[in-house]
Amino acid sequence: MEIFLQQLVNSLSVASVIILIGIGITLIFGLTGIINFAHGEFLMIGGMTTWLVVSNGGGFIIGLVAAVLFVGLLGFVLERGLFRLTLDRPMNGFIISLGLIVVLQHFVIRFWNSYQKSIPEPLSGVWEIGGVQIIVMRAVVVLITAVVVAITFFGISRSRYGLALRASVADQETASLMGVPVRRYITGVFIYGSMLAGLGGALMIALFPITPFIGSTIVVRGFAVALIGGLGNVAGAVVAGLVLGLMDGLSAGYGLPEWTEAYSFALMILILLLRPNGLLGGTAGPRAV
Amino acid sequence: MSNSETMVDTAPAPATPESEVKVAAGAHLTLVERLIMPTILIVVLFGLPWFHPGYRLLSLATSTGVSAIALYGLAILVGQAGIMSVGHAALMGVGAYTGAILSRDLGMNLWTALPFAAIFSALAAGLVGLPSLRVGGHHFVIITFAFCGLLAIVLTNGGAFTGAASGLDIGAIAPLFGVSFGKLQNVYLLVAFFVLASIALTWLVMVSRYGRTLRSIRENEKLASALGIDVRFHKIVAFMLSGAFAGVAGILQVYFLQHISPELFGAFPSVYIALMVMLGGPRMLYGPLAGALIVTFLPEVLNLDPIDARIAYGIGLIAVILLLPGGVMAGLASLYRTLRSKVARA
Repeated sequence: MEIFLQQLVNSLSVASVIILIGIGITLIFGLTGIINFAHGEFLMIGGMTTWLVVSNGGGFIIGLVAAVLFVGLLGFVLERGLFRLTLDRPMNGFIISLGLIVVLQHFVIRFWNSYQKSIPEPLSGVWEIGGVQIIVMRAVVVLITAVVVAITFFGISRSRYGLALRASVADQETASLMGVPVRRYITGVFIYGSMLAGLGGALMIALFPITPFIGSTIVVRGFAVALIGGLGNVAGAVVAGLVLGLMDGLSAGYGLPEWTEAYSFALMILILLLRPNGLLGGTAGPRAV
Repeated sequence: MSNSETMVDTAPAPATPESEVKVAAGAHLTLVERLIMPTILIVVLFGLPWFHPGYRLLSLATSTGVSAIALYGLAILVGQAGIMSVGHAALMGVGAYTGAILSRDLGMNLWTALPFAAIFSALAAGLVGLPSLRVGGHHFVIITFAFCGLLAIVLTNGGAFTGAASGLDIGAIAPLFGVSFGKLQNVYLLVAFFVLASIALTWLVMVSRYGRTLRSIRENEKLASALGIDVRFHKIVAFMLSGAFAGVAGILQVYFLQHISPELFGAFPSVYIALMVMLGGPRMLYGPLAGALIVTFLPEVLNLDPIDARIAYGIGLIAVILLLPGGVMAGLASLYRTLRSKVARA
């Protein structure tokens, strides 16, 4: 039982990173229809930014803020410079994102080699609660994610910006007639999603070493989360992220860790087949661009 | 003839996508113009060994040819049927592993195992294609990606049967009709023959009734089905046909490299295959070949190191998709038509 609780707590921190990625993907796809397969690369770049800052003597907090801001800026530039041009042909946007994976990944490898990078643990220490050991940094990761998820969720479901956002997802034309600057919202959501990826990268490198190749593994999880939860559905992404994260953690703890990735692939295929709109239902992407 | 051409030019903006108009305009090419490309292709393809290209170039050409075969399979799916897949390396993997395992356990050679590789890959492709009947577009692309990831994991965890992460080794290609394949030159010619066959088969699909059926599904699935086309059946058939190409490419690859391992068939090779097709032009007959040639030979010509080559490749691809959404060959074809009509008018 204690081992089970231990695994549960450990998988929560993994689930956090996956949830951050999944929410970014689900929001970007839900509003813009852009399938950005390079989203995992955004996370990798966030992690590398943190690594650069920390290894040049900056603190982890500065590294984290730098990662969020830099990846947000990257998202802004790429949305304005590339993805905006493909809004009416989403498949081209997808292909471009595949090209971006190649570019971003090899750009990082070219300047900072392909070995794994790590930073000293920003917070050391272990809490012990009823025989369950909780690494403080992992708890902090879970906490930060929980706060971000809550802000995102209430921002979308309660604020007037969230209302305008949902209106743009439901019907872009009508929303823009009602005075919603849809294009600006698209850019805004893209930047926000990118910032979440940057945050995920910073948190991830605080937990484990990362390599320039981490993006492709993580993006598949992210899409799995977004699709299983229902595209555009933040609550769905959280639930799906928890399920996948726990599955990862538990399969690693109870034998067969080499099949860990296979589970998320299989679950993703299964759910897409049985419930194409995801477990909790989502948008089928933007209508009428 | 110039009359009908100007008619195409002055016709009110057609509702059909640009490519259909291009096909219509292409119908006015003269016989000589139509024969130029195939002639150049055959001469270069089969003449290459007589220019003493050296081992490195010939081996690059061989591996380009192997990829091109798989690219043609994907082009039928993407260009004709309009179904995008980023799991095609997995289908090549099925063919390659079929070849390697049949050779190890049953002592079969390339010639006897080839049909099995094609059939198994086609069956696997049919299986991967099944979800396309239920979920469309983006969802399906991600499913193909997931299938590909699954296969790489299964191959890695397959123990002695698949050789796990270190993969499998295989002997050389058995002689056929007294021709030995010990020399790279003969392996190259064999692959060249298969490339030509793939192009010919793709051409047959494009000009046949079957190609029109697939294109009608691509343009409007509901309309196609209302006209009595069995959309579900044709989608699966397109997948299986595409898979058979990938299977042949896979078994040729294993016999060319004489060694295979799971990472050759994972998610990244799949992405590269999809990108090469899009770069060259999925709807053009010579598009996939152009894509494979550009990706393999451009870094050589520009003398880039592998990392820079990848960056250049990614940037080039993004530029092509933005500027020439139909791919390099579609861009060249429309350039040629513009020049031609200017010359005709002058």
